[in-house]
Amino acid sequence: MRKISEFEMPDLIPARMLNEFTYCPRLCYIEWVEGEFEDNADTVDGRFQHRRVDQSQGVVPNPEEVADFTARSVDISAHEIGIVCRLDLIEGKDGHVIPVEYKRGYVPKIEGGAYESDKVQLCAQGLALKENGYECNEGLIYFVKSKQKVQITFNELLVNRTKQLINNLRLMIASEKIPSPLVESSRCVRCSLAGICLPDEINFLKNPENRNEEIPQVRKFLPPRDDQIPLYVTGYGQTVRKKGERLEVWSNRDKTGEVKIRELSQISLYGSADITSPAFTEILQRNIPINYFSYGGWFYGFSQGNSHKNVELRIKQFAFAEDKKRSLKLAQMFVYGKILNSRTILRRNDGEVSDEILKSLKKLASDAKSSNSLQTLLGIEGGAAQIYFSRFNNLLKSDDSWYSFENRNRRPPKDPVNTVLSYLYGVMVKEFFVTLNTTGFDPYLGFYHQPRYGRPALALDMMEEFRSIIADSVTFTLFNNGELSERDFISRGLGVTLTPTGKKAVLRGYERRISTEVKHPLFGYKVSYRRIFEVQARLLSRVLHGEIDVYPPFLTR
Amino acid sequence: MGKLRVYIVSYDISDSKRLYRVHKTMKGFGEPVHYSVFRCNLSDKDKIELIAILSEIIKHDEDRIMIIDLGFLDGYVDRRISLIGVHPEEDNNESAIIV
Repeated sequence: MRKISEFEMPDLIPARMLNEFTYCPRLCYIEWVEGEFEDNADTVDGRFQHRRVDQSQGVVPNPEEVADFTARSVDISAHEIGIVCRLDLIEGKDGHVIPVEYKRGYVPKIEGGAYESDKVQLCAQGLALKENGYECNEGLIYFVKSKQKVQITFNELLVNRTKQLINNLRLMIASEKIPSPLVESSRCVRCSLAGICLPDEINFLKNPENRNEEIPQVRKFLPPRDDQIPLYVTGYGQTVRKKGERLEVWSNRDKTGEVKIRELSQISLYGSADITSPAFTEILQRNIPINYFSYGGWFYGFSQGNSHKNVELRIKQFAFAEDKKRSLKLAQMFVYGKILNSRTILRRNDGEVSDEILKSLKKLASDAKSSNSLQTLLGIEGGAAQIYFSRFNNLLKSDDSWYSFENRNRRPPKDPVNTVLSYLYGVMVKEFFVTLNTTGFDPYLGFYHQPRYGRPALALDMMEEFRSIIADSVTFTLFNNGELSERDFISRGLGVTLTPTGKKAVLRGYERRISTEVKHPLFGYKVSYRRIFEVQARLLSRVLHGEIDVYPPFLTR
Repeated sequence: MGKLRVYIVSYDISDSKRLYRVHKTMKGFGEPVHYSVFRCNLSDKDKIELIAILSEIIKHDEDRIMIIDLGFLDGYVDRRISLIGVHPEEDNNESAIIV
């Protein structure tokens, strides 16, 4: 297998990356090495404010012939200092050239009128110009909002600092280690990658002595919930079509639903649901995943536009999975989380549960943590599941009812409760599949579930700790609230299936549950379950990076 | 990203081709409530994107667009809007669309 050290060191560093590196080395690493990017209002506005200088215009004369000129959006590279840059604007005057860098905001109220990161970026541009034979000893930073220029002289101090930072950046890449997050920095507040970097969460988990604090100092950078919404097409003979900026769902000659494309997070198509080519390509271009299920809810796979760029994480994932010892350590935490969460579900909802049962589940959870092989771990999980499902009927208010739960069965499920559980597990696999994929993992290679053709093992791994608190909880809530009735199910031979209205009710219940905002037990802030899935995936990636020692499962209280 | 705010966007576009393009763009951001009036629930990022896209379409010396901020979506938005006559369709803001 290819080692990470075999990654080629790039010859040229973009001046923009030097800016990011000066701002925060970790930001530079995540963006450049891991290939992650996320827009926020600032970055979108930045591009918008830049739109004029981004249009290439004017010609740069040879160094010997510099007269008065201006040129916009000029690419230049310098191999000696190892910089490549795009100059927003170059002005030529009396044989000198002056690079002008556009920044979207106001002139900062600090000494010198510019941040170090911007000064260094500009200086690197100046050095690149010099190496190409131009006279260049100063540059300008133009602040779009205040319409003011700040002059920066490339004095010895700044030049040395710039060269030193270029060198540090190279060392960081060569080290192949992600730099630590900034500590309680105000820079994180406006950083668009804070939700990926999780600075405070990682710092908190890295320092175990902080963990007993009553109120952890974890600032919430990730949005509490997703503003994007999923589209589920479950009905028979439905077609998804593109109409301008919207997608419409049609059944024969009736429009059955529509959604703005920019609001979409993902699309799930069940059974014979169809999507037209124009809609399909539009969706792929916007990087919205499309998930395919059988009519009965079995997850077949998905389509996505350009795949994720985070090769580094995949390489680490494969190396980790090869290592049986480290894999087992992760698997233990997945099972530990699963057992404790199922215990919490019983404690909360089963009025008659005995202390003995709660105790034995707790014992099994701690056994899981110290198990010495995958076989033992599987046995422990099986034992815990048996105890848990033996109490499951007590979670249902099914005294004189048409449904009850005896034991867990599947393929096909033989009663309504098992049908709903199976359907929801299918939906959850999809959820983790998409989350893992957008985080940069390969969902097919797991640490607990062993790879088997077509089985998204890692999605199944990550799902373990959430099965009871999401799928099982949605199931008994739907039955107990009377949101499902006998008419929502059909018996077919051995198995029981859901009717179209039944499926809709189940999906509504599921979406309601994962959009719920809950307090994160470790970090103390409120976020939706959907966001928690993402946070857990990112924490897992940090374990693979070696930043955190032990994967912290999400344990509900 | 983050919390959504509700905006009323109205426009006067002097050329029918540009009017069509603006209308088509607006359909991707909000719900039409009257001719040339949309109600949009936008994040900060969405709002900047909307302004960026519209700025590229319109002629700045002939057309005009007004954007009114009605505050956060979960605030008192609906109290600020009074309706007389035929009511537009409800914007039901579900967390998922299931068909």
